[in-house]
Amino acid sequence: MGNCLKGSSAEDISLLRGSENGAETSDRLGPLPPPYREALPIFYPSPNVSRPVSQLTEEEQVKIAKRMGLIQHLPTGSYDGCKKNRECVICMMEFLIGDNVRYLPCMHIYHVKCVDDWLMRSFTCPSCMEPVDAALLTCYDSNN
Amino acid sequence: MPTYLTIYLLPTLAEPLFHCSTKLYVNQLRVLLTKRLQKELLSLIKDPPPGVLVDSEKAEQNLSIWTIYMKGADETLFAGEEFQLQFKFSPKYPFDSPEVTFIGPNIPVHPHVYSNGHICLSILTEDWSPALSVQSVCLSIISMLSSCKEKKRPSDNAFYVKTCSKNPKKTKWWYHDDTV
Ligand SMILES: [Zn+2]
Ligand SMILES: [Zn+2]
Repeated sequence: MGNCLKGSSAEDISLLRGSENGAETSDRLGPLPPPYREALPIFYPSPNVSRPVSQLTEEEQVKIAKRMGLIQHLPTGSYDGCKKNRECVICMMEFLIGDNVRYLPCMHIYHVKCVDDWLMRSFTCPSCMEPVDAALLTCYDSNN
Repeated sequence: MPTYLTIYLLPTLAEPLFHCSTKLYVNQLRVLLTKRLQKELLSLIKDPPPGVLVDSEKAEQNLSIWTIYMKGADETLFAGEEFQLQFKFSPKYPFDSPEVTFIGPNIPVHPHVYSNGHICLSILTEDWSPALSVQSVCLSIISMLSSCKEKKRPSDNAFYVKTCSKNPKKTKWWYHDDTV
């Protein structure tokens, strides 16, 4: 009860945090005791990984490539005015006819630009949290 | 996974990565962030959840730090109490969750709220989704407070407050108790 705490996760370093980093690293109180020890940095195989490709491990490169490929396999289209999906919940803007949208297996749709970014971080639908890859793999299985 | 997938993929690797670390990408994110925060602010001013009030003047001055006033719901342990929440948005919002803490003189005494204002709530870290919003975070916090059966601090409060980082998002929370 109440003890919801496990440890402290390390800084997720990225080019977008830039200036904020300097100030924040100094508020640590030296090495943390065991229950709060630093976890390994969470690996986001995300488009804003700040390291150049040459510094990524082979495993990371493969992971990123696979993820990108899976995303490319999700169907896209231009918004046709369908009344069921009116708004992209990521940017909170209403879809305009002709907007470039991506369809997830759960039938939720988003702007391609908006959702691709998210899918590189987490391969789930932002609205229903349905894992996208599970649905994709089932698709492949039933096709084969 | 079918093998053709991997073969087809690898050539796509280098280009998007380089492309995305450019200024263009950062600017795209900034536009998304600003537009969305402005929309959220407007709807929170116009149509706030019950007991919630955003300091709109402050938020308009600095869109990346909001102060939100919250009243304890009637007929709960926190009825009649007033709290202040601070929302900090990183440049990666809404892909990154906002940093949300209780601030000010009255920090609710709750098994998931540390005396320094940090909140142990999974949607603020690992269960975050860009479909969530300031409004839905406020509603979750209200429901977390409302379902409280006993006013007390987390059992590891003293230790946590002494050793944690200023940013609660750097804490790896262990969400094993959703009943309180
Ligand atoms: Zn969008
Ligand atoms: Zn969905």
